[in-house]
Amino acid sequence: MRRLVIVVVVVAGLAGVFLYGLLRGPPNRDVPSKLVGKPAPQFTLPLYQRYQATYGNSFSLDAHKGTPLVINFWASWCGPCFQEAPVLEAAFNKYRAQGVLFVGVQTQDHGQYDAGRKFITRFGYTFPVGLDNDSSIGVNYALFGVPETFFVNRQGIVVYKQVGPVSDTIMAKEIEAIVK
Amino acid sequence: MIHLQLGHLGTASVFLAFGLALYATVVGALGAQRRDARLQTSARLATVATFLVAATAVAVMEAALVSNDFSVQYVANHSSIGSPLWVKIVTLWAALQGSILLWSFLLTAYTALLAFTAPLSPLRPWALAVLSAIQVFFLGVVAFLANPFHTLASPPANGPGPNALLQNNWMMAVHPVLMYLGFVGLSVPFAFAMAALITRRPGSEWMVQTRRWALTGWGFLGAAIVAGGWWSYEVLGWGGYWAWDPVENVSFMPWLTATAFIHGVQVQERRRMLKSWNVMLIALTFCLSILGTFLTRSGVISSVHAFAAGPVGPAFLAFFVAVTLFAFGLIALRWDQVRDRAELDAVVSREGGFLAGNILFLAITFTVLLGTLFPLLVEAVSGQRVTVGPPFFDQVTLPLWMLVLLLMGIGPLLPWRRAEGASLRRNLAWLAGGFVVSGGLALLLGMREIYPTLTVALAGYNLVSLGLLLGQALVPRVRLTTRSPWSVLWSYAHESRRRVGSMVAHLAIVIIALGVAFSSGYRVDQQVKIDFGKSTTFQGYTLTPVDRFMDRSAAVISSGAIVDVSKGGRHVATLRPRLNVFGSSQEPVAKPAVMYTFSHDLYLNLDNTIGPNTSYVVLRTIYSPLVSWIWFGGLLLVVGVINSLLPARRRWAESRAEAGAEETSPA
Repeated sequence: MRRLVIVVVVVAGLAGVFLYGLLRGPPNRDVPSKLVGKPAPQFTLPLYQRYQATYGNSFSLDAHKGTPLVINFWASWCGPCFQEAPVLEAAFNKYRAQGVLFVGVQTQDHGQYDAGRKFITRFGYTFPVGLDNDSSIGVNYALFGVPETFFVNRQGIVVYKQVGPVSDTIMAKEIEAIVK
Repeated sequence: MIHLQLGHLGTASVFLAFGLALYATVVGALGAQRRDARLQTSARLATVATFLVAATAVAVMEAALVSNDFSVQYVANHSSIGSPLWVKIVTLWAALQGSILLWSFLLTAYTALLAFTAPLSPLRPWALAVLSAIQVFFLGVVAFLANPFHTLASPPANGPGPNALLQNNWMMAVHPVLMYLGFVGLSVPFAFAMAALITRRPGSEWMVQTRRWALTGWGFLGAAIVAGGWWSYEVLGWGGYWAWDPVENVSFMPWLTATAFIHGVQVQERRRMLKSWNVMLIALTFCLSILGTFLTRSGVISSVHAFAAGPVGPAFLAFFVAVTLFAFGLIALRWDQVRDRAELDAVVSREGGFLAGNILFLAITFTVLLGTLFPLLVEAVSGQRVTVGPPFFDQVTLPLWMLVLLLMGIGPLLPWRRAEGASLRRNLAWLAGGFVVSGGLALLLGMREIYPTLTVALAGYNLVSLGLLLGQALVPRVRLTTRSPWSVLWSYAHESRRRVGSMVAHLAIVIIALGVAFSSGYRVDQQVKIDFGKSTTFQGYTLTPVDRFMDRSAAVISSGAIVDVSKGGRHVATLRPRLNVFGSSQEPVAKPAVMYTFSHDLYLNLDNTIGPNTSYVVLRTIYSPLVSWIWFGGLLLVVGVINSLLPARRRWAESRAEAGAEETSPA
């Protein structure tokens, strides 16, 4: 009898968790970010060494007022980030002539400098990238997960937030909106 | 007046099948309870009728798909006139409703087959009743919650076709069917285990009767997982095959527990031990397969795979709860009978090895389950949203996998009951030699990463183990005969099918382990931009995009680059990475081009759109060593399973002789 009670309790517990999951509904990733239409939160991101000659030791948002920005959050363990990385690099090469700057923020990846370098080397990122070691930038940008990409216009206002990997089509459309 | 349509016929079949399954469950259980042969026979016949009616439903759906009958909602939502015939046929399992119809159909097929092939035993009526009850659930879902045969009053002229990622590769035709065959196959031993508990006969009878079914289900599930990996490799464009995504994890967990089960079975057959353990393993396997379907089809767990949350989620949850309560509740009630009375004679023994292996498999299962459910648990408790990524799974399971490889080598060499000191030491010395020599070679060749190096060392160790096993079996046989060693090996493979089958399967695991170790440890992944006509070098290959191309058919428009691959000035391959746009969808889907070789793959994925005026290509180039060993290993695993399933030559000959004797003997 005691065993039966244990079985019932365990199954009921599991069922409770799943029921919660069901009632909550599918995780909605399309929540419009509260940041859209607001100024992008300031941050200072220490850059990986290879970018320091070109972009300085760290990247500060304040220092790039007037530049249309694409801020991409990624992590070395995230599959979709690998998927979108080539798209990002290709888009940067395509649009940098129009004055757009990209910045890569490696986040939710505490201490993973080696994995970060490996990722950057693998995809040959030419835009500045750094590790948000305590994930505080990610917190300020209210990340749901990685990858997420924020498009910031010349006035420093977040115009669009992409949850999940970016595509050529999205890049073309949103970059057009921020270079205006 | 209603104009009769295919949809109506389909709906009618589904409801009829549901009714028949209900009948088979109730009458079957009643017949089993009262030991009434007439009721039992009636239930058996009902399972066959269910199968025939379910087959009709599937045939109707196929007819609707192939004939582009868009008055059937499923066809309108998931098929398209321009698709090739094979795509139309496999669209049956391209979306949720059709998949569950297919699953139900396969379940009815297995049940009907079992009803007529399983020998008469006290277990059979109950096992059939349990399987029929499972059918009631699946057919009920098809009939009431996810009926694919809903008809549309004003049908569209054409449909969007199946999901583009699925159309991109023929593997889509294979992977889901293998998966369902696996799940359904494993529900047969589950049903017999439950029958054994209900009838209070928890001996080895249920297990021996379903050994082949369990092995078949396990083989199909394993093949499905490898095929799924290959599909993602061929389609997703990142050159990988496994990402610890919830969708992958939920198919992996039942396979892990089923692996533990098919090993535990041998201990029970041989030593009458692990009785309770085996019952729990098979119950766990079945519950996990239902749980997996719930998790992936309800949207409870977020995954990179997009799943529409439909009404089937709550139904699968209810079924999961019911099945788990039933199975484990029954085990709890019958605990005094299933409890093991025999004790392990010695830890260092064959059964000790099996037990340790099983504990490892359960540990891996638990890790995967925890990692998969963790985000949900945390959110339920604290409202936080977290993600668990591959680092967790890799870090926790890799050491366990190494231990699995370690046990896989030594386990089969240990004798039952207790290992003799001298032979154990000799075997261990050989194994250690294999480990040191191959590990040393790996180090000499410059390998430094811990897990790939360890995998190579353990692979050498396992090859030595297989050699020892084969040697122990063959050497005495060769000494006793004048036949050549090869012909001795050949007849041994036919006589001791299970033994040889297990060796082949273990060899396959070694090969897969090497493929995984090298392809994840030593892959090179770059992105390059090349102008047409220019070349770039990558891992010793010269890649030259020579031209662009565009193919247009009714279903798909492909555009891409023709890339000439040469090595040392010699042309080796022409690859055509492309972007496909299917039907009415807007987003192009990349289709990588892969050059498969024995030692490595060259994998090109197109990262830019190629128009008539594009002057360059952006390629993601991946060099992935030994990755094709994984697919080959998967194939070998299937060969091992088949070899184990075939009747042994001697016994086969005997049974034929017996059959002959029966025919000739006077009645």
